[in-house]
Amino acid sequence: MFAPLNKYRQAFLVGLQSNLVYRVNFAVRGFFSLFHLAAVVILWSAAFAGRSDLGGFTLNQTITYFVTLLILQFFISAFNEDYQISEDIRNGLINQFLLKPINYFAYRFSIFVAARLVTGMLVILPLLIALPVLAQYLAFPRDFTVLLLGLPAMAMSAMIQFSIAYCFGMLTFWFLEIQGFVILSMALETVLGGQMFPLDLLPAWAYSVAKCLPFYYQMYFPAAIFTGRLTDTAAIFQGYLIQACWVGVLLWINHLLWTRGLRRHTAVGG
Amino acid sequence: MLHYAKIWLASARYSITRTLMFRGDFFVWSLVELFWMSVNLFTISVIYDHTDSIAGWSKYQMVLLVGTSLLIQRFLMGFFWSSIFEMGRNIRSGNFDFYLAQPGNVMFMATTRKLDPDSLVNSVLAAAVVIYAARQLGLDPGVGQIALYGFMVICGVVIHYSILVLSISVAFWLTSAQGIEGTYFTLMEFSRLPRKAFTGLATQTLFVWLLPVVVVTNAPARLLIEGFDFRLAAWLFAAAVGWLAVAVFVFHRGLRNYTSASS
Repeated sequence: MFAPLNKYRQAFLVGLQSNLVYRVNFAVRGFFSLFHLAAVVILWSAAFAGRSDLGGFTLNQTITYFVTLLILQFFISAFNEDYQISEDIRNGLINQFLLKPINYFAYRFSIFVAARLVTGMLVILPLLIALPVLAQYLAFPRDFTVLLLGLPAMAMSAMIQFSIAYCFGMLTFWFLEIQGFVILSMALETVLGGQMFPLDLLPAWAYSVAKCLPFYYQMYFPAAIFTGRLTDTAAIFQGYLIQACWVGVLLWINHLLWTRGLRRHTAVGG
Repeated sequence: MLHYAKIWLASARYSITRTLMFRGDFFVWSLVELFWMSVNLFTISVIYDHTDSIAGWSKYQMVLLVGTSLLIQRFLMGFFWSSIFEMGRNIRSGNFDFYLAQPGNVMFMATTRKLDPDSLVNSVLAAAVVIYAARQLGLDPGVGQIALYGFMVICGVVIHYSILVLSISVAFWLTSAQGIEGTYFTLMEFSRLPRKAFTGLATQTLFVWLLPVVVVTNAPARLLIEGFDFRLAAWLFAAAVGWLAVAVFVFHRGLRNYTSASS
């Protein structure tokens, strides 16, 4: 029954190995992310000076939110998957997948999971080193059910992250250069995904609009559950539903772009 | 000197011709830059919806600070980023050989080959943000003040260029700088913060003095807000010279490690 999945297990293992080759790079990147955290602590400490809360949350809750975001980024964010897919198309490497019984999306997703496993584990190290300093700012909810509620959101967020990256990769069938689109989208994702500030600080109308967009479910939604910013169970289940809809929509767009893109694709050489 | 000016002009001409060939690309990238600038300004706007002051800086003082940071960043991106970004990949692929055969200093050739006109176009918008914030604050700087502000911005660009070259030079030892060059942008985050926000001794020492990215933007912004401070300008100039010297040294040490195509 699971035999057809074996090839993706192999892709996952190869992905694990090839990402471990660049472990120093990822570790350095993880270390540098501590600088980002330092900037966050400095900015928000200054913003909170003389006040106990901002937008209904304390300084510690805000810092905890950004620490959670950082961990999530290394565990579920698409790093350069869009470029890898783009390179595969541009260099004709996808030709081999057209001749083999391998689903390109599943192949790439297996490698994505492997890569995030490596980067996710590697970010733990610098965070542990910074823990003596960070500990005073951390205010995670003591209720372990947030962990259970957050994990499905996190898994679907990973799917959304990868699917968006896959969509951009697919654009290579139409455009020679996708980097501009990727970074343009990254600016939107950064703001509407809650990476610059917690989305609940937005004016109420803007927050309601953001909740309808996929970016909200890319990062903010699981982070808000894990850190206790989102506690209403009904709202969380409603969020799951919208998130699942976005996963479905993005998977459909992925499939559409793949089939339409292949019609334009010209395989040259052997 | 004239020789290098000629080389740079030839590179600039090539970059502009290339941009004119890919007009759609130029439009998309200009939009990218504009979006990122808006992200920073929007963040300030959201935070100041909930507070009146950050480390004693009002909303428009903060906009002036961020505008200065964006101006420095746009110049850096416009004049150097593409070349330095490619440098890391070229070291890995072995294409860096190309620069060794060029008629000039390798560091100069490798870091100034490409211009990004889209960033340079957006530097006008960043300058407009600074002017808008200054107007909102009721500032009326004289010609000397504006000239010194320009000089400090140039020093800031040199400091950031040096730090960027240093971080990419890691590729000479690690072979791949994949992902590392991006971490440089983390440092840019500090340049958008007021110096007074750095209250701890460790953060002050590291981010204000050792890595002078905070002073690089705070000094010119303060010059416009509070008036002349030649001592700070002299310090910024000395820091620019010092950082450039370190970057030149590390780059050339790294170059000795370069082994052409590695994979």
